[in-house]
Amino acid sequence: MASSLNPADHGWRKHLPVINAFVRYGLLILVGFLMIYPLLWMIGGAFKNNAEIFSSVGFIPKSPTTDGFINGWKTSTEYTFATYLLNTMKIVVPKVIVTVISSVIVAYGFARFAIPGRKWLFALLMATVLLPKSVLLIPQYLMFREFGWLDTYLPLYAPQAFATEGFFVFMIIQFMRSLPLDMEEAAVMDGCNSFQVLTLIVCPVILPAIISVALFQFMWSMNDFLQPLIYLSSVEKYPVALALKMSIDVTEATSWNEILAMSTIALAPSLILFFLAQKYFVEGVTSGAVKG
Amino acid sequence: MYSNKWIGSLYITPFVIGFLLFTAFPFIASFVLSLTDARLQDQLGAANFVGLSNYTEMAADSTFRQSLGVTFAYVFITVPLKLAFALFIAVVLNFKLKGIGLFRTAFYLPSILGGSVAIAVVWRFVFAGDGLLNQALAGIGIGGVNWLGEPTTAMFSIVLLRLWQFGSAMVVFLAGLKAIPEDLYEAADLDGASRLKQFFMITLPLLTPVLFFNFIMQIVQAFQEFNGPYIITAGGPLKSSYLLPLMIYEEAFKYFNLGYSSALSWVLFIIIAVFTAVAFWSQKHWVFYAQDRDDKGGH
Amino acid sequence: MSVDSVRLTDVRKTFNGHEVIKGVSLEVKKGELVVFVGPSGCGKSTLLRLIAGLETPTSGQIDIAGRDVTYAHPSKRGVAMVFQSYALYPHMTVFDNIAFALKIQGLPKAEIEHKVNAAAETLQLTHLLKRRPKALSGGQRQRVAIGRAIVREPDVFLFDEPLSNLDAALRGQMRVEIARLHTKLNATSVYVTHDQVEAMTLADKIVVLNAGRIEQVGSPLDLYRKPANLFVAGFIGSPRMNTIKARVREVSPDAVGLDLPQTLLSVPRVGAQVAAGANVTFGVRPENLQLAAADEEAHLSGYVILIERLGGETFAYVTLKDSEGEPLIMKLDGEAALYNHQEVRLKIDLNRAHLFAEDGQAIGVSPDFSDKTDESVHV
Repeated sequence: MASSLNPADHGWRKHLPVINAFVRYGLLILVGFLMIYPLLWMIGGAFKNNAEIFSSVGFIPKSPTTDGFINGWKTSTEYTFATYLLNTMKIVVPKVIVTVISSVIVAYGFARFAIPGRKWLFALLMATVLLPKSVLLIPQYLMFREFGWLDTYLPLYAPQAFATEGFFVFMIIQFMRSLPLDMEEAAVMDGCNSFQVLTLIVCPVILPAIISVALFQFMWSMNDFLQPLIYLSSVEKYPVALALKMSIDVTEATSWNEILAMSTIALAPSLILFFLAQKYFVEGVTSGAVKG
Repeated sequence: MYSNKWIGSLYITPFVIGFLLFTAFPFIASFVLSLTDARLQDQLGAANFVGLSNYTEMAADSTFRQSLGVTFAYVFITVPLKLAFALFIAVVLNFKLKGIGLFRTAFYLPSILGGSVAIAVVWRFVFAGDGLLNQALAGIGIGGVNWLGEPTTAMFSIVLLRLWQFGSAMVVFLAGLKAIPEDLYEAADLDGASRLKQFFMITLPLLTPVLFFNFIMQIVQAFQEFNGPYIITAGGPLKSSYLLPLMIYEEAFKYFNLGYSSALSWVLFIIIAVFTAVAFWSQKHWVFYAQDRDDKGGH
Repeated sequence: MSVDSVRLTDVRKTFNGHEVIKGVSLEVKKGELVVFVGPSGCGKSTLLRLIAGLETPTSGQIDIAGRDVTYAHPSKRGVAMVFQSYALYPHMTVFDNIAFALKIQGLPKAEIEHKVNAAAETLQLTHLLKRRPKALSGGQRQRVAIGRAIVREPDVFLFDEPLSNLDAALRGQMRVEIARLHTKLNATSVYVTHDQVEAMTLADKIVVLNAGRIEQVGSPLDLYRKPANLFVAGFIGSPRMNTIKARVREVSPDAVGLDLPQTLLSVPRVGAQVAAGANVTFGVRPENLQLAAADEEAHLSGYVILIERLGGETFAYVTLKDSEGEPLIMKLDGEAALYNHQEVRLKIDLNRAHLFAEDGQAIGVSPDFSDKTDESVHV
């Protein structure tokens, strides 16, 4: 800052923080607007009539109507959208539960025990994070076909019961490693066996990490499309993702507002959860990268 | 009790079983399948061993070459742009100002929702002939572009969807930026380093571990993109957005060529493996870990 | 024959091929407070963890209350531990923290409540029972950690540097509290610290550890008066003992004559076993060095190079003439008249002096202390 010794500089330098803040805010508002606008337009469009969607860039409907929701909810199939939402939950809820339980148990084993070959097993765990899922797709399909699991939800969450999502296991391992050991040692001295240490001490303490894992798995499973696409064939078992894809194939040309309305509903659970719990997402996504 | 290896092994048993059953076995099986002419509708016993002919067939398959080219283009465009943009916005956000949390939320949201079918559907409508983008362009006097109907613009639309999801990379960068001690900048100020110099001499080197993490994650994810392109463009027009994962899916579940599809998936696996291996190998040359800060101080 | 509360027999522990406890044998009597001291890395914490059962010895045997517990589960040894970081469970109230071990044991609810309340009473925690650890001060957390230990009524209490996380003022206060509690409960305790003041004030018996071995075991004053070797001499006492290299000139039944660079000294000794001509180390504590008056005979002379005035006392650093050795430290009265670069003549209280052989072992004892035989054990 040697140049600030020059008195002539003082005039504008004094305003530098203000200019700086102004430029930053301006940029952030512009980018933020472009980021969020497609979502606003979706929600607004859900309340417009079709003619208006095609004719206006604004997102606030001029004559709001719930036709999109009413007709969209009926869907072009014999089931209402409620069926698809319920189906999604039938997949997502068990998937989240088994992911959390298996990931916590395996992470505990990795983080706290001297296991023979731990280094190699951990390397394998990390390799599963980087392994493209499509290389496993066909054999898994054939395997589940042999099991007689086609057109059931089992292929969508049975693997997750075995800690197959390395990313989540890694997240929890990182979190456990950052905990001081002596709390668990105190519990051992108080008479806990290792499983009691896990359930009574470790789990309550790493609850934020557990919530992060649950939320991420929830979001990713809500978004999942390829797996249901392959495994589910009866429309009555479709989750929202497949139902939406089906409805654009059928009605896209005519009823945009219905599709936008159903898209809005499809995103609503994720949106609400995100706003309620965004700090857990931030913690989750950064725990692997920064602490590690 | 913490040294009891058998109890510890018990805890990781689910992983070992899951790894063998759902990862290792399918992984090897997929390679074995890639050496056969297995078809989806037939019993596996009916498949014949065909050696490497699925792989040699690829060399002559113009669809594969097209798909490979498109995939590389997609990855090479989206990954650097996304990382650069994420880093840029993170630096802008890394400032003590009111409402920063709000912006962070707004920027992060798309990367949480972006992989969903609902967003892909919205994207289709944004880029449709009478969609949002064309309406907006009409407002400033630009005539209707057939976004999803032209090869270049179709690619552009799916690239944009990926860039729109820069938030998760940004949040990681932001956490990395916040972890850089303030006193380094204060010391640099006293040494008379300009802001730009400080960015390149302090911020960037200390951010390389985070950059490395983001780079690996983005490469791996970009090579596997499926939902957006499948729903928005279905790989078209003229296979201009026909990414390899789309081709793998269609070969297996539309054309029932399990052998060929498995071979394609192995090619995808090898490409990703090479990229990650090169990245990990190269990291000692450019990734700067805080632990060996003293050793590398002389650079 | 009285049963020792804790008995270690040739205990060894190896981590990754590196032996950190190199054969330790030790007895702790019932009701005794034994303090392990030593520099960091000396193995004192490992030894405590071996007694606790958090580590298992590579070889040797550990008995507690007459029972071999070498491989017993930590909770089945009759020990309770207070951790350095307190290790309170953050998601439980103070009550639940203290009650946790009893709940795991499956005691009836009424009994748990009774015991927790009694412990809380003893430690003046009753009004805090509903709080979480986060809402407590450092001293209060410390008391909860102790409460968690006493509620289990163990045969032996283990303390792992329990005061090192507190600030200086609170540390003094908690030290007194622990001493009082020990008297009140009359429980056997093993206490690890690196702070020799804690060791001197709390211990019935101090165990000085160095590099995985016991250097000396004895009462605090025993160690101070009759350090068995140079290591203990240097470790116990602050500022540390001054040492000067010397050579033995002559040996008589009650004294050892020394050749020092500046002077000849006759050091009164009882039981000295050393031959003339041997190289030895002469030791004298800072408080046993005095300034000689002008008309007084002096032993050494040198220059003051640094004066530290602490108010109540003054430390003066003196380099000896014609010497390149470490400066000597003197402990003087707070008001001692002294200035930098002053030439001074020093008088040594030879009845309080120490003598060590080349291998570091003490040579005899001063006649002042020879009759004061506490239960000092030389290892």
